[in-house]
Amino acid sequence: MESEGTGFPPSGSGPTEVFNSIRERTIAENSMVVLLQGLQGEVTTVDLRNESSARGRVVNVDAFMNIRLNDVVYRDGRGQVTQLQDLFITGRNVRYVHIPDHMDIMKTIESQLAKIHRVRNFASHGGGRKEYKKNTK
Amino acid sequence: MVLLKNLRPPTEGVRHEQAETTAVMGGEKLGCGTLYVAETRLSWFDGAGLGFCLEYPTIGLHAISRDVSAYPQEHLYVMVNGKVGDENVAEMAEKADDEEEDDSSSSGGDDDDEDGAITEIRFVPSDKAALESMFSAMCECQALHPDPEDDDSDNDFEGEEYDVEEAEAEHGHADIPTFYTCDEGLSTLTQEGQATLERLEGMLAQSVAQQYHMAGVRTEETNAEFEDGMEVDAAAMEAGQFEDADVEH
Repeated sequence: MESEGTGFPPSGSGPTEVFNSIRERTIAENSMVVLLQGLQGEVTTVDLRNESSARGRVVNVDAFMNIRLNDVVYRDGRGQVTQLQDLFITGRNVRYVHIPDHMDIMKTIESQLAKIHRVRNFASHGGGRKEYKKNTK
Repeated sequence: MVLLKNLRPPTEGVRHEQAETTAVMGGEKLGCGTLYVAETRLSWFDGAGLGFCLEYPTIGLHAISRDVSAYPQEHLYVMVNGKVGDENVAEMAEKADDEEEDDSSSSGGDDDDEDGAITEIRFVPSDKAALESMFSAMCECQALHPDPEDDDSDNDFEGEEYDVEEAEAEHGHADIPTFYTCDEGLSTLTQEGQATLERLEGMLAQSVAQQYHMAGVRTEETNAEFEDGMEVDAAAMEAGQFEDADVEH
């Protein structure tokens, strides 16, 4: 996968992961995954489809809803609790992602989309959102 | 025991290789061997020719566990959807020949998901410092295998990626990918493109004509035409155009 080279300002600990492909960026832009991507750095709970749950700090969410968490408390379907340093949940296994109460959902979505547009540097497929200024090359 | 003979370690696309790694499946120690985190699949071999492999779409999650109260050794934890049993492992070996996952359920099929059956696998390397690399390599490889059944991510850009910078350079303006209208498109076709277009149109015409059993049309070889692309179009609208084409039927 190619790295885009341009990164978002790092938030939280560790290297920030950027969109690795144009395809992922497009998928993200056209779905609610952008909201989850705005959770980077937040501590939250992810409920999995197998009745287990994981609570930790969001390191990264990619366009396929694969979620990477740090410092995780993992509770399995039987209620057994373990601690995991790093956890990667395959998107397919995610049932819910809890959004922290303090987060403004609309603002998060808007700022994520703004980041995409800054990186991509052209109008969204909605046909030109003039509030996002194009950089001239 | 869940081991399959005659599997070979991957040679290409190996993002991480970790020797001296003990594999524990469902609580059962399988021995010490080498873990291969390859782009196609995850596999482990004990060095004596026995091993198993896991397809990424079947992996529900993976993690670094340093909690020795949960398990006495620091390890890479992998949760597989479904049971990794002899049948499933056999299926995986067959699929190892295919490049792609097909519709038939792989070892992590829907039935297993609904049952909630999972298999827990732990990879315990002797070098604990390698856990982060192992984990990262798995993250990268997992991301290469997005869920094919996912309806939401509609894959707006299947196939070649659209490079904005390239497009801007070519077209001089930033825009969503442009598709040529018929007239515009025709004028930009090269001679080769023109020939291809005519050939494809001929093939279309012929396949429609098939239904009416027109003379000169070889009904058995319709499929072959689409496969090799070089066909004899006896009944094509531009008769004689392909007389010099190789007849491979």
